[in-house]
Amino acid sequence: MADTPPPYGVGIGWRPEIAGFVEGLPGLRFAEVVAESVHAHGELPPGLQVLLDRGVTVVPHGVRLSLGGAEPVDPERVTHFAAVAERLDAPLVSEHIAFVRAGGVEAGHLLPLPRTREAVDAVVANVRRVREQIPVPIALEPIAALFDWPDEELTEAQFIGEILDRSGALLLLDIANVYANARNRGTDPLELLDQLPLDRVAYVHVAGGAEHQGLYHDTHTDAVPQPVLDLVGELSARQRPPALMLERDGDYPPAAALTAELDAIARASGYPSVT
Amino acid sequence: MNDTWGISGPTFLTYFITAGLAIAILAAVHRKALFRGTRGATVDNLGPQQVAYLNGGDRLAVYSALGGLRAAGAIGTGSGRTLVQSGPLPAGVTPLDSAIYNAAARGVRTRDLQGDQWVASALEQLRDGLERNGLAVSAGQMREARLWIIGGLALIVVGVARVIAGANNDKPVLFMVFATIGAFVLTLTLLRSRRWATDVANRSMRDFRYKHNYLAPSNSPSYATYGATGAAMGVALYGGAALYTMDPAFAAEAEVQRIAATGGATGGSSGGDAGSGSSCSSSSSCGGGSSCGGGGGCGG
Repeated sequence: MADTPPPYGVGIGWRPEIAGFVEGLPGLRFAEVVAESVHAHGELPPGLQVLLDRGVTVVPHGVRLSLGGAEPVDPERVTHFAAVAERLDAPLVSEHIAFVRAGGVEAGHLLPLPRTREAVDAVVANVRRVREQIPVPIALEPIAALFDWPDEELTEAQFIGEILDRSGALLLLDIANVYANARNRGTDPLELLDQLPLDRVAYVHVAGGAEHQGLYHDTHTDAVPQPVLDLVGELSARQRPPALMLERDGDYPPAAALTAELDAIARASGYPSVT
Repeated sequence: MNDTWGISGPTFLTYFITAGLAIAILAAVHRKALFRGTRGATVDNLGPQQVAYLNGGDRLAVYSALGGLRAAGAIGTGSGRTLVQSGPLPAGVTPLDSAIYNAAARGVRTRDLQGDQWVASALEQLRDGLERNGLAVSAGQMREARLWIIGGLALIVVGVARVIAGANNDKPVLFMVFATIGAFVLTLTLLRSRRWATDVANRSMRDFRYKHNYLAPSNSPSYATYGATGAAMGVALYGGAALYTMDPAFAAEAEVQRIAATGGATGGSSGGDAGSGSSCSSSSSCGGGSSCGGGGGCGG
């Protein structure tokens, strides 16, 4: 695909708490930063600036646009998102297929959409609005859902496929979500993998999780479990994504443990180690 | 009407203010020369405790070591604010680490650490190396810089005498009172200013601090990720407050003060004042003029 950037290999989510660790990764070529945490016009955090100066690709990852909301995306948020993308000179941006507010009420976290044609229409309309202001491709990330809405018209793969086809967006695949959803629904993660348009994957999130009261939670604060790494291997065997990144959002372990996780992702995907 | 001491008020005031300005300028020039440091010296290869010494003297060096030892799980706090050993001494530690670790075995309190002979000797070793490299200001240089305090004191004495004599002579003395207050402020400034790093070290520290910005408390750095050295360096660069970010319970139990690390920061002295000011209001342990660190390094 003409839109797809050249392979970056293994990356990591840049967070201020581990900025020094990320900076110290000699082979790093790909990182992601939460778009809302970056000032569009002020000075960038030094750790992030160092990465840019080194030629590391840094992708802004939005979490507050609420693309799945019934109402149009907030133009101010889109403007900020666009400014951050330009500031980082990012070749692509990413957001979630989810909503974070409805009727003016902030949910505070990402909520799953009902898999209906109406929801597809809403997301597609919002992605078009975003693309009007952001010239680079956008990758959309389906989120982990601990529950399904009733009366759904589409399967997960159909839902994602339809949104991507109609909006022209790329896929940001969270492999830990694929695992979590399949496990919590009692389905086979490989089945979903085989139904997804893997040729449209811009990059992949690899995160850790933990089991709690019989449900697997995609916590981003635990180690990446072996089944998720196995799934990275399965995915890479089908169609290796241009980039896979470790997404850790808290309870950061010692540097050696992070290094081991990055190396495990590199081994599973067949990319060179960045550590 | 006779002029007091045979000199007219305006003339005396002019002489007095000129003398004050001269002392201020000469002291500043003298300091500039004294504190220059060795050209080309850099802090880039220093360990956390050395960086800490340059930023906050003996006390911050001790805090930096505490941060490292605590992050390594080697020390904790016991009853009565004392330090205790809580694990083995990690490999590759500095003499200061060992000295503090051994002091912890004897249940020494944090505030008494600098008085411990082994800790004091480790600090001396640390200081000597930095002074030899032209990075640290020596006690001798500090003493020399403070000689100008004598000039300031002389000015105060003359000013007070003139005010008294003038008042007895029924002359207006208001301007002279202000000028004397000025001399007092000048003297106090000369007395209070304490620094550890030379100008060369401070310049080099600015880049170093920028490079280690990820350890700034504003980033809520993950000390688990950065390890013992990162923890020690965080304290060295960002002061006692970093210890509170890292391990609030330990820092409070050990009565660590939130002294700021001054070196390299623009307007560093005001930051240092603010830091020690706030620590004094919350702790009774600094009534005895402990801003000198008790290490005998105050230039007499």
